[in-house]
Amino acid sequence: MGRKTAAFVLSLFVAPVISSTSNSSDSKPRFSIAGERYHEDLIIQPLRDGRVISTFTFTTLLEGVSPRDPWELETPAQHYTLFPLTLGQILREYSITELHLSLNAGKWNYDNWGYPEDPSVSTGAELWAWMADGGPMSIDERWTSLRNALAGLFCASLGSLDSRRTSSPYSAFPLSSVSSLKISFQYALRHATLPSEHVCTENLTPFLKLLPCKSHTGLARLLNPQRLFDADWHGLGVHVLSTDRGLELRLGVQAVLDPVRESGGKRRDWSFQSLFDRSIDAACPVSSRSTARVVIPDDDGYRLSPELLLGDKSMAIYDLTSQVPLDISMLWPNEHPFPFPPTHTGPLAPLSIKRALHGFSQTHGVLSVALSNNEYGDITIGYLETLPALVTLWMHTIKAEVRGTQRDDLISDISYHPSLLQSNGRYGPSVLQVRLTVPAKSALRLSIDITKTFLKYTEHPPDAMRGWDLPPAVLFPVLIDGPVKYMVNDSFVDGIGTRDRHRTIPHRMYTPTLLVDLPTPDFSMPYNVIILSCTLVTLIFGSIFNLLTRKWAIVKVEE
Amino acid sequence: MNHPVPTTTNHGLKEPQKLCFETARTRRLVLGSYWTIIILAFPFWWNLTSIERIALPSYRVRAQLDRKPVFPVSVRLDASSFQGSAPTLGRALHEILAQTAQASPRWRNLDIQVGVSEHAGDQSEGPNVYSVVLGNHTAVRHPRQVVVSQEDASSTLRLGNILSSLLAPEVTSMQAQRIAQYAKRYRLAFTLLNENAASPHLVNSWDIQTALAGKFFRFIYHVFPIISRLDVLHNFTVESQVQYHAPLAFEPLQFAVANNTLHGLTPEDLTVFINSAEWTLSSSVSNDPVLHFVLFIPSPAQQPLHILDAHGLPTRQNAFLLPQWGGIFILNRHARAATMTHLTAADLVPVFSAFANQLSALLGVPPLPDGMMSEESSLLSDWQLDALLRYRTSENMLGSQQTLYSIIKLVDQIENMPVDQKVRGDVHDALTALGEAYRSAMGSPATALRWSSEALSLASHAFFNPGMLALLYFPAEHKYAVYTPLFASVSVPLIVALGREVYGWRRERQVVRSG
Repeated sequence: MGRKTAAFVLSLFVAPVISSTSNSSDSKPRFSIAGERYHEDLIIQPLRDGRVISTFTFTTLLEGVSPRDPWELETPAQHYTLFPLTLGQILREYSITELHLSLNAGKWNYDNWGYPEDPSVSTGAELWAWMADGGPMSIDERWTSLRNALAGLFCASLGSLDSRRTSSPYSAFPLSSVSSLKISFQYALRHATLPSEHVCTENLTPFLKLLPCKSHTGLARLLNPQRLFDADWHGLGVHVLSTDRGLELRLGVQAVLDPVRESGGKRRDWSFQSLFDRSIDAACPVSSRSTARVVIPDDDGYRLSPELLLGDKSMAIYDLTSQVPLDISMLWPNEHPFPFPPTHTGPLAPLSIKRALHGFSQTHGVLSVALSNNEYGDITIGYLETLPALVTLWMHTIKAEVRGTQRDDLISDISYHPSLLQSNGRYGPSVLQVRLTVPAKSALRLSIDITKTFLKYTEHPPDAMRGWDLPPAVLFPVLIDGPVKYMVNDSFVDGIGTRDRHRTIPHRMYTPTLLVDLPTPDFSMPYNVIILSCTLVTLIFGSIFNLLTRKWAIVKVEE
Repeated sequence: MNHPVPTTTNHGLKEPQKLCFETARTRRLVLGSYWTIIILAFPFWWNLTSIERIALPSYRVRAQLDRKPVFPVSVRLDASSFQGSAPTLGRALHEILAQTAQASPRWRNLDIQVGVSEHAGDQSEGPNVYSVVLGNHTAVRHPRQVVVSQEDASSTLRLGNILSSLLAPEVTSMQAQRIAQYAKRYRLAFTLLNENAASPHLVNSWDIQTALAGKFFRFIYHVFPIISRLDVLHNFTVESQVQYHAPLAFEPLQFAVANNTLHGLTPEDLTVFINSAEWTLSSSVSNDPVLHFVLFIPSPAQQPLHILDAHGLPTRQNAFLLPQWGGIFILNRHARAATMTHLTAADLVPVFSAFANQLSALLGVPPLPDGMMSEESSLLSDWQLDALLRYRTSENMLGSQQTLYSIIKLVDQIENMPVDQKVRGDVHDALTALGEAYRSAMGSPATALRWSSEALSLASHAFFNPGMLALLYFPAEHKYAVYTPLFASVSVPLIVALGREVYGWRRERQVVRSG
């Protein structure tokens, strides 16, 4: 076994041979190492309320590589130049086909900000992975080891995404890796969310170490943790997919920054220096393409510098290899001060979501979700709710109402997995999946009764009075014609292109998280309780004992 | 007021002592039943509140401590080439070799026998049999044969030195400190570090896979032959990466020599060369130890970078070794290779020969004695491999003996430490494996190594069992604080009543005896 693993070139890899291609239009050669390709992209979108969404995407492509077969017993030799070795080791060791990890903080406001470039905007940590079944390690063992390995790599507490939070929602998170996969394998999904996980600089630092140029050159220079973690919404994402060209690793950073707040409520002018406190000095020499794109806003009072040479009316494209150092700025010279848009301007997403937990008792409550359809046509979506065993859903109380009238015809395809006791003594999550149709220009209210559990004394977290975070619910697009397909064994669901965009949402949407208040005992009382009960027992014992063993004697009392 | 003898008075009431439920006997029975229940319940309480501590075979472990493995080695002089002097030479050699083995602390467990045999050089006879043949030069031959020249064979002392340096090579303490801990599987991580990617001479890639394949046209790389030869000892997993920004954490020394500014690394700088905070060197997903081999390309502002000796003068060396961690090679650019964006196989020849030397040093491969050539086709001769096997085996066995003894001492010393079935099972299995290792040390060293590494891993597994730490911090005051309110207040009336009854009973007996 050692001989083979020691040195031979793995047949899956292509030996790297340098080939520098030079375009005729620019003098610098673009580097591309056949076998691995890296490119980076930045999209900046100014919004009408003055905020700026910036989306960084760093993509590394390993050409001709497919995920490791779980039946292979030897861990092959791995030779990388642009792809990060630490992540490659983890993917090979556990034979991961597709991996998605996101660490986010804040609540994504779909109404004012629209759809994000990367749909994984769930608050906290969300990790889901598709693995091929087979081999010496079972899927759950590989899932546990994957969580621990990623927790070590990103300094995030992903180890607590254990069996109490893991489920397998196949329809909401379909396998998007394509035909390079072997059809004879069975693939399984594991998904877990931890909404109370925080993201901070100690997650960003190992994240940046996965990039070839780190944060010294290229677009990653702009990732200043002081400014990034001050944003209204910020998140890191790691996505590993298997495409028809090879294995693709996409690292993404999204942030919604607020120049109006920085300037004290007066101006919405922004530039790289004002947003990130840095500008780009040098391009990353190993990237085959580095672009920065700015979405042109609808109104006209802006001035963009440097002046755009490429691009069309909707987007200005800057190529970093020819335009460094680069500091893009957009000014509104005629606005004194910036007028906030009126509140009745339409929402930017077809659905607006509100989710809340009603009830003032510590034993039961009502989970209510309000979906408002802002379009003129019906929208059909799938709704996935994964709740840990802290709350129990009572399915016989599920109700759908539109404008006060009960409309049970709008719910269909209910699939409910209650919280089951697992072999390690813990309870798994309860998973509810429903197909909902929201009528045009109206609001659908879904409500379900819940009861809250009474936890054991040792299961409470340190700050027990705060309550527990419940993970966000996921709205996912569904196929309109016919029932929702579950693809586990035989065939794969086709891409989103066949779903009718006007009648379902184009991407996944996440609801906000909830905080549930469970009944807590009085933690300060254990010793006092011991004393009190011991005293009571002693009194009773003492009285009975005395009665049984007292010696009576008659005493004559002198008158 | 107290009448010891009850007398009837005219109050009309019954005497309390005569009531059936107030007699002394009833009272004593009641008290006795309370005490009986308490005494019967005491063992149950003790059992339920004690920590699980299963007995470990400490007698066997202590008996193991003094046992040392014995490696029998047999040296045969070839009678056909030595002619008549063979028997006397053999006896003298036996004396010298036995003395050398006794004197060296590392090789005391070698049991060397010298004999004479016909045509010893023709065939290989077994794993522990070595043959000496007279020839016209001194060299090592396959399998397990050494050819000695006439002048070396003329002096018994010289011949004895040659044989002892082959069979029992001495290792200085500095060399011993470099050797990495034994593990069944090592990861070899080759990293190409560019200090500054913004330079125009960025190295993008290197022909690492050709270099690791061993042979490419006329270039020979020595890393793969060493790895495949050491297959019997360790398994190796190889990986490589390229980093594009790897700044140093300090400024190298600058000094001017003959109108040029040179940059140099002092010996203190070498100890802090690895900037672990900013460089992402390979960290393994498993528990296997990693040996790093780093090829560092300094930035153009700091080329050429030299290694300085203790006096501050630049040396001709370009590579250095970090003990038990790995090796580093600094590649300065030649003036003619101005645009070196890819390191070809030819460029990597000096790099990989340095890496091969460093790998041998890290794995503890003993070098051949000075002046001896090797006629073997592979890089490591059988003599070296056998010596390494024996060294590792005795090291592993010593390590497992010490680990087992520490477990026993620890469990004896800390009263609160729980010991469960798994620890006991591991200790038993480690002792069995040790016994097997002693037995197979008589035969093939390779089997002995396998058993000894098994014993070491089982002993470490038992020592680092997480269950042993569970109840370490459990102060006695907590126990008293919980038990006192109930047991103290319940026991007071019991003891007082017992005392009163015993006193009363004794007084009665006195009265009966006197009256």
